Amino acid sequence: MGSAFAFLHEFNIVSILVRLLLAMACGGVIGYGRSRKKQNAGLRTYMLTAIGACMSVLLTLYEYEMMTGQWAPIVAEVGMKFDASRYSAQVISGIGFLAAGTILSSGHQQVTGLTTAAGLFTSVCMGMAAGAGMYDCVIFVLIILFIVLDVMYPMESAFKRKLRNMTIYVEFSSIEYLDEITDTIRAEKATVYDIDVERTKREGSKYPAAVIVLQMGRENASHSGMLSTIAELPYVHTIHELIA
Amino acid sequence: MISAFNGLRDINTATILFRMVLAIICGGLIGIERSIKNRPAGFRTHVLIIIGATTASLIGHYIYLIMNLPTDMSRLPAQVITGLGFIGAGTIIVTGSRTVKGLTTAAGLWATGIVGLAIGSGFYEGAIVSTFMILFAEIVLGKIKIKRVKPFRCIINYQHKETLDHILRYCKDRNIAIKALQIEGETDESGVKVYSAFVTLQPNNEVDHDGFVRKLESFDNVINAVIR
Repeated sequence: MGSAFAFLHEFNIVSILVRLLLAMACGGVIGYGRSRKKQNAGLRTYMLTAIGACMSVLLTLYEYEMMTGQWAPIVAEVGMKFDASRYSAQVISGIGFLAAGTILSSGHQQVTGLTTAAGLFTSVCMGMAAGAGMYDCVIFVLIILFIVLDVMYPMESAFKRKLRNMTIYVEFSSIEYLDEITDTIRAEKATVYDIDVERTKREGSKYPAAVIVLQMGRENASHSGMLSTIAELPYVHTIHELIA
Repeated sequence: MISAFNGLRDINTATILFRMVLAIICGGLIGIERSIKNRPAGFRTHVLIIIGATTASLIGHYIYLIMNLPTDMSRLPAQVITGLGFIGAGTIIVTGSRTVKGLTTAAGLWATGIVGLAIGSGFYEGAIVSTFMILFAEIVLGKIKIKRVKPFRCIINYQHKETLDHILRYCKDRNIAIKALQIEGETDESGVKVYSAFVTLQPNNEVDHDGFVRKLESFDNVINAVIR
């Protein structure tokens, strides 16, 4: 690391400002991308948590600075009892709880908000790196987070629609028809892995429903084709694919 | 580090009072902004949280610096950070439309708690700078509306199952992602099965809705299409 930045690796008012601003900016960059996607945690959430995380490390550095400076006589008398990672360690569990609030579980066996939670967690760790003055680490994490959240996400959802496994939610007239539905799926050369009949009916629905996990007979089989085939059965009322 | 604060970094009655007052100011400023916006955690919540955090920090320092007991003076206040994670999670509300509210408040409350810890430890520079940053994030950035292309829901009534494949292929060519697809089928009086596809579409760029509907209706076997 260049000597020009040496003072940024020391603990002074300039480096405090630079680190806090860096944490805020990096949190903001990631948060901006999430806001654009209309995700639950947006620009401000990412910024605020990154500022907090950065402060926790700066606070540790401040205490150490004081213990070796102004409070040195007391330290000499009582003995050095100090754990430089105490505050930051709590940030990790604290943000875990906060992020858990973004995770939603919906009716039919789907969980959303996991990526948001995981992204918040990593973004906070990036904030801590900024607080510690690990500027190179901050930049790397920023780039990786950007790639994973903004570049890989569209790739992943496109990929999921081409998977051999698919999960569908079907509503049909009467429970006796379940066998016929699975027969139709098998006739399409797909394997049925799991059937979950939902006892508690969805609000506003008067029909029995089932969640079916199946594997297509061949690679790259059309998911919408399978949906259409099942929808064609006279007793099927509603069908849709569940995508995690 | 600003040397003017050096006299205020030891623990005595005057500095305890000073820290409490500073905590009320910093927490109060952040809290008032939330109160004005009528969010779940307002002025009182923020002041209470920041005073609690400041006190926890003061206790940690008192045990070590005044009572001279061998302890890590950050152990006690550090638990505040985890504890506030719980409180913050409590302000998050899951709404009916599968979104969460109160996340910014939760994050702000959490950050405010850490400012409180800094004040209690006498790290005034960091506390003041980060208070302004939190205020900046909540006031200035709260006003910015980030432009996003809204997804839209479209109901397409059609006959013959192959029709849907044509429609979906058309969407793909137009670079419109299909976020959700639901098919309902009803048999009408003449015994012809009519399908209704409920599709949620996420376009990459702004799409002319009327033109899109007209295009869909021009397909064979499409009865009509409606955008919700």
